[in-house]
Amino acid sequence: PPETRAAAWARPRSGPAPVTDVAKLCVCDLLVAQCDVNCCCDPDCSAADFSLFTTCSVPIVTGDSRLCTQKAATYSLDVEANPPERIFKLIDQVNPSVFCIHATNYEQALSFRSPEMPTSENFDLLLKRFGGAAFSAEPNSWNMNTDAQNPSDANETYRYEYGVPIQTADAFLRLPSPVVSSWCSDANPAAFLVNQATKCTRSVSVEKCGNIQAVSMLFYINSSILAVNITVQSIVLQSLNGMRTLLNGSDVLRLPVILDELCINIVLGVSYHITYTDAGEIIEAAASFVLGAITKEALSIQQSFDISFTQVNTKPVPLSGNPGYVVGLPLRAGFQPQGYPFPAEILFAALNTNKYSQLTILQSTSNQDCLAAQGARTPILFGYNMVSGCQLRITAAMKCQPLTQTLLDLLKGQSFPEYVASFGNSQAQDVLDWVPIIHLRTSEQSDNERIYNPFQSACQIPISLEIEVKWTKYGSLVNPQARIVNVTATITTTTLKQLRPGRERTIPVTSSVVFTDISSPAEPGYKAWPTINVKLPFDFFFPFV
Amino acid sequence: NSRYQLSSLPLQILFYVNGIYYIFYFLVTLAMIVYKSQVFSYPDDFLARDLALLFIMAILEALRLYLGSKGNLTEEEAPLGLSLAVTLGSVVLSVYFLVWQTYVLKADVILNSVLLCAYGFESVLKVTAIAAFVS
Repeated sequence: PPETRAAAWARPRSGPAPVTDVAKLCVCDLLVAQCDVNCCCDPDCSAADFSLFTTCSVPIVTGDSRLCTQKAATYSLDVEANPPERIFKLIDQVNPSVFCIHATNYEQALSFRSPEMPTSENFDLLLKRFGGAAFSAEPNSWNMNTDAQNPSDANETYRYEYGVPIQTADAFLRLPSPVVSSWCSDANPAAFLVNQATKCTRSVSVEKCGNIQAVSMLFYINSSILAVNITVQSIVLQSLNGMRTLLNGSDVLRLPVILDELCINIVLGVSYHITYTDAGEIIEAAASFVLGAITKEALSIQQSFDISFTQVNTKPVPLSGNPGYVVGLPLRAGFQPQGYPFPAEILFAALNTNKYSQLTILQSTSNQDCLAAQGARTPILFGYNMVSGCQLRITAAMKCQPLTQTLLDLLKGQSFPEYVASFGNSQAQDVLDWVPIIHLRTSEQSDNERIYNPFQSACQIPISLEIEVKWTKYGSLVNPQARIVNVTATITTTTLKQLRPGRERTIPVTSSVVFTDISSPAEPGYKAWPTINVKLPFDFFFPFV
Repeated sequence: NSRYQLSSLPLQILFYVNGIYYIFYFLVTLAMIVYKSQVFSYPDDFLARDLALLFIMAILEALRLYLGSKGNLTEEEAPLGLSLAVTLGSVVLSVYFLVWQTYVLKADVILNSVLLCAYGFESVLKVTAIAAFVS
């Protein structure tokens, strides 16, 4: 309302006075210069508009009801009249309680505190406090923290908790990420133990090659996380056509330079690895870079950033469940090293994050020729039954043995593991937690056919691999955990009939994974009915016994 | 009998009733200040001021009633005059609690108006008693 605005300008120190005239206060008047529907207090509504209303959404407007007497504006619709008209009455509402407020001598008694109005004196202070994208309710607590971690106290360790932004010497560790649009914003702090991966776009140009801070390696390793310096773990150079090569010797700091109309050593990706102790202190920080080059025509590049946390003295092995397998996570598998069964430290070899060392099956590709699409494999995910396959074209020239070997490689992959973890979090040291894979071989032909052709050179080629994973529910009834009990890999072979020269045959090769739940259903247990335990005393029939 | 006894009986009755009423007034006002501090926004300095004035008023009231009662019974005008002077202070404080308190509730208005009426009657009776003692 204009009168409050005038009051606000007259007193620059305090906010606008609260509107206390109940006749002018209308909460449902949301549209400016337009009539709001069913809003009886709207001054923009005419009598014709009121005749279309059904009820009044705001029937009464009062001030604080704790006052002894106050003015109240009541709005109602007189539906008896034709057309319906609005009735506006200004009445005095009386609070009958003996503890109603008769008067107050304190201006801010019954209204909210107005915020500070900015003037030229306090503007800088207010901008510092509220000028960022977000501000905390207690800015003083931030100042106290950074004071306590002055570099003079380098030995003092700072304990982090989950989600707390990682402090560096001057601010905090930033992970550029897209905020509203896909453009990079450098104000995203990295939070402790929160693994993040972001991709964002940054505008670059060859002319400003050396000037843009955010594409230079120095920007990302310049700040030290308190006492810990960020070391460069590895540098990968990406050429213009996308080929990546790992650089030997990653101690050199490569800054962007202009070379042959290209700007090289532009940071295309940073991957932070933070090592922490179980007390919550950061003891090591390493960054791996992907450096690339841009041409003169390039206006923007896409940068990708990620951060991962590892606890010290542990190897980062992603679990597939804790303890039971989680549907959708890959099966963990491994090999038994030579020299088993020494009970000392037994470390299974293929326990790393390389997903191709897990249990994998053939992945169907658009090109259905088995021999052409070699090597495309997909990891087996718990709970997901999969079927895949390809078509094998057999010509007369193919020999049995090499073909058998090729098909076995195709079906099983390069390194088919020997053991599968029975729990999602099975450790390599616990040998009993690992289930051996049982291999079976069946032949597609029935026994009759085999009897008829006993002397024909039987060339059996494997054409199908079926992995059956039997799992059971383990643990409490309320929260059952999946546990793998048995893994069977069945290879089905068929006889390769000798082809006449010039002819060729196509046979389908399939592989499948099936998960079977063999858990026995829970049986309800009933409490035993109480029995009447009656035993007569030993000498009940005394004279006669 | 009234020729020999100059002490005013109505005044003494009023003192007695005033004493009992004041105890009630003090407890109720204190309870209401506590209630207001919980329910309303009551800054600490306002609260301290109101409580201090309430306790001062209690002390003044005790002094006033003692002096007035002693003066009336011993038929001396000096304590009675002093009591009248202290009554002035009590009236000011009562008006404060009626009008200038931080939150004035309806109960406050009722209590303080009754107290002010009592003060008015007492003052009139004290003046007549002093006049009776002096002459």
